[in-house]
Amino acid sequence: MSFSKAAPLAALTRGVDRVTGSSLGRYQTAVIRIGLSFTWLCFLLREWPNRHELYGPDGPWSWEMARRLIADNHAFTVLMWSDSAFWFECVYAGAVVSSALLMLGWRTRTMSVLSMIGVLSLQNRSVFLGDGGDNVIHLMALYTVLTRCGLVWSLDARRARRRGQDPAAGPDLTGIVLWALCGLALIAAQIFGGTGLSWTTDGPLPGLGWATALWGLWLAHGVWWAVCRYAPGEPRTVLDAFAHLAHNAALLVIMVEVCLIYATAGWYKIQGSRWQDGTALYYPLHLDYFSPWPELSHALAGNGLLVLLLSYGTVAVQVAFPFTLLNRRVKNVLLALMMAEHMGIAVTLGLPFFSLAMIVADAVFLPTGFLRRLGALTGRARDRLLPARRKALPPQREGETASRTLVG
Amino acid sequence: MGPDDERDEPGGGAGLTRLSLPARVAVAAGAAVVTVAAAVHMGMVFLHVAPSNTVSKQHAQAIGDYIYPEFEQNWKFFAPNPLQQNVAVQARAELKGPDGRTTLTRWTDLSAQDGAAIHHNLLPSHTQQNQLRRAWDFYAGTHDARERPNGLRGSLSEEYIRRIAVARLSGQEGRPVQRVQVRAVTTVVAPPPWSDEKGGGDPSYRTLAWWPVATADLPEANR
Repeated sequence: MSFSKAAPLAALTRGVDRVTGSSLGRYQTAVIRIGLSFTWLCFLLREWPNRHELYGPDGPWSWEMARRLIADNHAFTVLMWSDSAFWFECVYAGAVVSSALLMLGWRTRTMSVLSMIGVLSLQNRSVFLGDGGDNVIHLMALYTVLTRCGLVWSLDARRARRRGQDPAAGPDLTGIVLWALCGLALIAAQIFGGTGLSWTTDGPLPGLGWATALWGLWLAHGVWWAVCRYAPGEPRTVLDAFAHLAHNAALLVIMVEVCLIYATAGWYKIQGSRWQDGTALYYPLHLDYFSPWPELSHALAGNGLLVLLLSYGTVAVQVAFPFTLLNRRVKNVLLALMMAEHMGIAVTLGLPFFSLAMIVADAVFLPTGFLRRLGALTGRARDRLLPARRKALPPQREGETASRTLVG
Repeated sequence: MGPDDERDEPGGGAGLTRLSLPARVAVAAGAAVVTVAAAVHMGMVFLHVAPSNTVSKQHAQAIGDYIYPEFEQNWKFFAPNPLQQNVAVQARAELKGPDGRTTLTRWTDLSAQDGAAIHHNLLPSHTQQNQLRRAWDFYAGTHDARERPNGLRGSLSEEYIRRIAVARLSGQEGRPVQRVQVRAVTTVVAPPPWSDEKGGGDPSYRTLAWWPVATADLPEANR
């Protein structure tokens, strides 16, 4: 380590080079994409029989009531564009399909936007239905749009690999058609969408309307394609740098978000008398809405020492987690503990989707080596289950570099 | 606090020095914009989830404009203290018989119905776990002690509770509901057996006025 004056500058240059020249945490963002779209997909399928009661125009939280509330809070939902049952079915089915395709990583960047629209549309339509799990999915759906989460473990990556091996590959027709369709859909939305799509107000951020946000994403996608095709030199490198920057910033925001979740959950608990006297966990285990297995809950709650240890342990882990990121080994131990606790919560408190969403969010901190081993294991298991596919496909080589040029 | 990132990206680093000046300026500007945007975002989210403090009180308006509606979040799970009471929402109805006479049903414990649906259920639905529970929280949060609504949200919460109650009662009575009444029965969870605190005592009742049921409150099938 040199102590010359130039060292901090050199370090800064190296840092800037890294965040403008590579997308960090490719496996971690892929886990977020796969995990959260899987959670949302399972939720949508689980609620399929109840979808009208939850989000439909004639549910207890009726379309008209939602319209009055949204006129006040300006949340984004395409369900307000029409109160017809047919439109509702289309949106719900669209949310199911887009989340499934996002999970598989088919046209990831487009699907991440469509899936986000599905999440926001359903959740904002009936805001008084959600719990912490919905909240996590909502935020991550917004952040995921800015990440390049399809670089590995995706159909996009596989296609990129194949195209890389085939120099005679023609233009990407599917991509062009999909992009054109999205443009047409946006024009239609602009005409029929009423007040939902404005340019400067009522958008995701102050001063940025949803029309600007969605048209901007659409345009960026088009420019990206055009530059890749017609200006592969320096303009391409600059756009690459922008994509890397947005990805790395979004990844950082996701990680900070997870830290804030644990920090607030923990630090507010420290102030509570029940967490201090070590009986806190006893109470949720006696709440009718959160004890699907009363025999188990009461057995757990009956053991004073266990309740004390679990209550103190929960607070300690939640408060400590952000700081353990400074030490790789301790962080990994805590990650395992938190995931185990959420698995327990899934069953004992009857919150499976919340727990799954939290476990996936935690997974953004898993080490790359572990994730790659997991990927290899999954690949082998798949090959064993589907031996016929092995010959048809080129071997999956995760982390292969051809994807850099073809996956947005 | 990066992830354990991989270092196999080819030519990791765009090699900014190899670019022309305009390109370098563009990348630098992009980096500046993204850095500021990320910093503002994380700052705003932090101030939103942190307890009310010097900065967040001064800039409450700006923080609210930034966070709502899409970045709203609340992570006070069971904090500072876990909920220590079971709130059961119950409803009864005034029905109109075929002879024109009205009859009064007994109180139906809607929360107990939810509880039965959740019992031994690995995948509880939002209709069972969140709908009525959160609707009552919504109502309680938008009404004062004399049951007066605090504006738009207050009146929406009344309509919401009424529609849930009517939908569930109509399902079991099969006769048109003329009026409906809702009450909340709150039972404090008894302290643990090893604690020296006193028991929870009798449940407390919060009974709302009778609400006339409009056609619009009825589920589609019963209109």
